[in-house]
Amino acid sequence: MEQICAALEPQFPCRETTIKTLGELIGNCEEAYPAAIYLFGHTGTGKSALTKAFLQQCRKQQKVRVAQLNAIECYTTKILLENVLDALAPQGAEETAKRADNMLEFVNELRRWHDQENNSSYLIAVDNAERLRDMDANVLPVLLRLQQLTSLNLCVLLVSQLPFEKYYNKTGLSEIITLHMAQYNKAETLRILSADFVHVQRQLLAGLSGNEKGLRKCEQAMTPEFYSNYLSLFLSVFYKACRDVPELKLTARKCFSIYIEPVLAGTIEATDVSRLWRHIAGPLRAALTQIYMRFDKPADELEQQSNESDQSVRKLAQSLELPYYGKYLLIASFLASHNSAKQDKRLFVKHHGKQKKRMQTVNAKAKTTDKMSTTLGPKSFSIDRLLAIFYAILEEKVGLTCNLLSQISTLVHLKLLSFVSGEQNIMDGSARLQCTVGLEFVLHIGKVVGFNVRQYLCDFM
Amino acid sequence: MDPTISVSKGCFVYKNNATRAGKKTPAKRKHSSVLGQEITAQPFYSAYSECWQKLESHIAQLQHQSYSRTLEHLIEYVKKESVGIGDKDDEILPTAALLTGINQPDHLNQFETLTRRLHSENAARVCVLQSRDCSTLKAAVEAMVYNLIEAQSAGGALSAEELDCDEEIERDRKRLRRTQCTMKQLKAWYLNNFDTSQNRRALVIILPDFECFNTAVLQDFILILSAHSSSLPFVLVLGVATAMSAVHSTLPYHVSSKIKLRVFQTQPAPAGLNEMLDKVLLSPQYTFHLSGKAFKFLTYIFLYYDFSIQGFIQGFKYCLMEHYFGGNAYALCTDYSQALTRIKSLTHDDMETIRRLPSFRPYVEGINDCKRIIAVLTDDDYLKKKLPQLLRDCMLHFMLFRCSLEFFTELVHDLPRCPLGKLRRELYVNCLNKPITQQTEYKECWQMLGFLSKYEFVTKISKCIACTEQFISNDIEPLELGDACASSMRNQLKEIQQLLTNVVMATMETSGPAATAATAPLAGSTDLTHVASRHELKAQLLQRSKQDKEQQPTTEYAKALQLILQHIETHLVMKYLRPLQNAPPLHELYIFSDISTVRRNIIGAPRAALHTALNNPHFYMQCKCCELQDQSQLVSTLPDLSVVYKLHLECGRMINLFDWLQAFRSVLRASEDLNEDTQQEQIDPQIQARFTRAVAELQFLGYIKMSKRKTDHATRLTW
Repeated sequence: MEQICAALEPQFPCRETTIKTLGELIGNCEEAYPAAIYLFGHTGTGKSALTKAFLQQCRKQQKVRVAQLNAIECYTTKILLENVLDALAPQGAEETAKRADNMLEFVNELRRWHDQENNSSYLIAVDNAERLRDMDANVLPVLLRLQQLTSLNLCVLLVSQLPFEKYYNKTGLSEIITLHMAQYNKAETLRILSADFVHVQRQLLAGLSGNEKGLRKCEQAMTPEFYSNYLSLFLSVFYKACRDVPELKLTARKCFSIYIEPVLAGTIEATDVSRLWRHIAGPLRAALTQIYMRFDKPADELEQQSNESDQSVRKLAQSLELPYYGKYLLIASFLASHNSAKQDKRLFVKHHGKQKKRMQTVNAKAKTTDKMSTTLGPKSFSIDRLLAIFYAILEEKVGLTCNLLSQISTLVHLKLLSFVSGEQNIMDGSARLQCTVGLEFVLHIGKVVGFNVRQYLCDFM
Repeated sequence: MDPTISVSKGCFVYKNNATRAGKKTPAKRKHSSVLGQEITAQPFYSAYSECWQKLESHIAQLQHQSYSRTLEHLIEYVKKESVGIGDKDDEILPTAALLTGINQPDHLNQFETLTRRLHSENAARVCVLQSRDCSTLKAAVEAMVYNLIEAQSAGGALSAEELDCDEEIERDRKRLRRTQCTMKQLKAWYLNNFDTSQNRRALVIILPDFECFNTAVLQDFILILSAHSSSLPFVLVLGVATAMSAVHSTLPYHVSSKIKLRVFQTQPAPAGLNEMLDKVLLSPQYTFHLSGKAFKFLTYIFLYYDFSIQGFIQGFKYCLMEHYFGGNAYALCTDYSQALTRIKSLTHDDMETIRRLPSFRPYVEGINDCKRIIAVLTDDDYLKKKLPQLLRDCMLHFMLFRCSLEFFTELVHDLPRCPLGKLRRELYVNCLNKPITQQTEYKECWQMLGFLSKYEFVTKISKCIACTEQFISNDIEPLELGDACASSMRNQLKEIQQLLTNVVMATMETSGPAATAATAPLAGSTDLTHVASRHELKAQLLQRSKQDKEQQPTTEYAKALQLILQHIETHLVMKYLRPLQNAPPLHELYIFSDISTVRRNIIGAPRAALHTALNNPHFYMQCKCCELQDQSQLVSTLPDLSVVYKLHLECGRMINLFDWLQAFRSVLRASEDLNEDTQQEQIDPQIQARFTRAVAELQFLGYIKMSKRKTDHATRLTW
């Protein structure tokens, strides 16, 4: 057990307690394992990686048989069971593929192994264990009691992001040992990111190989203090927005090349922190808008990208290639979604008569200003109404052709419209759609085709 | 099977074993045309197929070029990723997002090209996964694994190095069932085939229609791929139709953190179309042309409806077929030398076709010798002798037209607000449709050209000349009649060049008449001091500004400028950029303008067709009984459904069934004698049955719905 812990601790800084607990529970294959362990915590806290490494160590040092699987992949129970059997099968056993169509066969197979050989231990780790709830009803209970059912020295590790309370069902589950992996705090994050120093240094040196002068300068400047200085600057910007360690690590690596650039060029001294900060502040803020997006771009495009993201909606609306009538259909669908059908006559018919202003309606309107239909979200509409509005807002006359109708389905495919109901019976006209784009977007589309959208919205009358 | 002239095709269902039998015997018939021998042997067909093949290969080559840049980057990316993946195990899936534009079917062949390229370079195994195959996660994974393994065996069969190896693969394929296609299977397969370090290959998964995927399935699918990416070098390629925000809104963080996105931008569809039009359709090397209207119609479908380049090409092909199908006379629409040989084989009927062309008449009227007129109209041999000259004139006209268009485009495309349009295609349409010099936009353009500064004007014109010169040497001269065209065009350019040097030499000094006028402002200024009223002042100012304007063209430069513009207008625009009406005789052989047929045939209008069928059955049935003088006429011999439909058109939103029945009965009985008064009260059960059936049919067609709110009423569903 000590060996395992010793091997893992440098690999996972700030996780000493968890490793110790795990080691105490399943670190020694001579002792009886607990039936099941539940490991949970947020993303990026090292659950899966830790489990994986721990199991590998167990396998290497104590010849424990381990099976690691991802519950997402197991879309049928059969795949789950066969994957487990494959991984756990004794070596040198007959080569025929293991078959287990259901739980019973699975448990029987394991029992047979128990009869054959006595003293081996088994570890099964299931990642994304929350998916087990959606599988056959017997999967989760059996996994939790697998030790008891097979009388092997076997432990099931479930890894998930949810607390175990979310698993309770009507039939109840047997007891499980839960281990929580808390999120790292700022100091811990800093420590973990600093561990990345060696990697960054190596990468930097590799990038500069061949350039003697740069290499020397780099070796001089690139010290652990310099890097941790950078990291504390970096975290001061990013820690509020993101606590996910892998994400931070990636972004830190990306931005570091910009940070060290003037030092390598010789324009700023490595010790001049304030000037370095002024240099890096802009790129860091730009990177903050890109976080979680995982754009993998060549460095020269990176800055250009950050400028573009400012006016994203306008940019999007202009860059979206839609045929002319497609744009009008989108506008028509927006109008249909955000006006009530009662108002259609007033909005779209030329001689709609005078509207009587009654005190009641005026009062009602005054009260409901905050309930503007553009802010309430889209309502559904039928295809007939969409076409009627389309023809009303389009000045020229176009035939109702296949090409036009197929535009509607194109818009649905592009997820600019979506079916609310009746997707199956478009033919009898009872299908209802809604428009999924926002007001700003449609305003820009309208500007492109020269159509004033606001003029036709009840809210702005 | 008898060869048939009709284009309709049959569709036959074969049981499974039949197709398998068919697979073993490779297709014997190389001739894949549905048309019979007697069509394909006709000269017009050979002219057509020759023309189409040339065009098609040209288009394909062009598209290949435009794809290739993005494709090159993508392939490079895939290769790089597949090499570098071995040493890291952070489960990050390299992903390339290809922003393709909204017409997804069009882009499928782009992905096919990518697949072919990757296979041919042995860089990767590719699997194209369509959203329709991936309704569930299970289906998605199975389809992916099956395609990857199958693609391998197909590729092996293609290379066909060793026969026994092939057989083994064949056996492999038989053993593989859909349910066995799991990730485990894939892993085993990959270990067997590729896991030595030298032939490590990436597994490329292409999702051509990213937006259509079910989000839940897609998320799980990506998670699975990323979980396996440490052992299997997956590269994901997404075809995104809208924008990158679609990717980010579909994938939540726990999924997107598993991928590494690289964005690739392809050429936008309108740009692709413009390129194709400029390089292929407007190229002088093809003798077939579209008239302005047909051209506009096809681009209109593209820009207003679907953005589909493929659709455009098919529409164009249809025009081409329609054109050549006009008869063997149209076989002359080919290269000049070939046309000369074809003239000999023309029959009397073909000559008659030529004589019936609308532009033949002005030609005949233009001849003032009576005998020759008769000879042209009656003697085939005489006309055949005349034809080469006519054809030559026609072809030369189109070439000169094209050269002048080049000049003209360069001249007006960057004027402010582009009154005539800035693209070659717009100008082409404008010039062919109407006499361009009479359009107000043209006049506006000319005025703006006059306002240009000397420097701007001179550079512009010299650029125009250079452009046209380049066009002539690149595109025109290699052609058959190119020399004749080039020489006459070069003469024009030379003259323009000469006039341009005049412009350059011209000074800004005002010449004689301006000097005499110089006294006038002096007089005006004295007047200005003692004006009586505001009105008077205004009038005087107006007059003075007019005087200024009159003085303007009196500078030497302005004169020279007017001269050159005048020259361009008369010698280039009026002479060569003539509209279709003034084109030389027999231009119909080269220009397709039958727009109404094309419109009827390539644009589907289901509602209009249904309306015609129901409103006027005679249109389709061609029977004698229901000929109508007037569209709204109701005749008892019409089919019941049609009568019911016509009656329902007269109603409002709600239709009372009883009234409808009465109207129906009265229509049917209009022809019968009215002496059956005894039955006035009682409705004939037969009539009622017919009525009920017709109403049910109408409901089936979706025109009405039985109302639930009001008893015995139907609701109209159309407006």
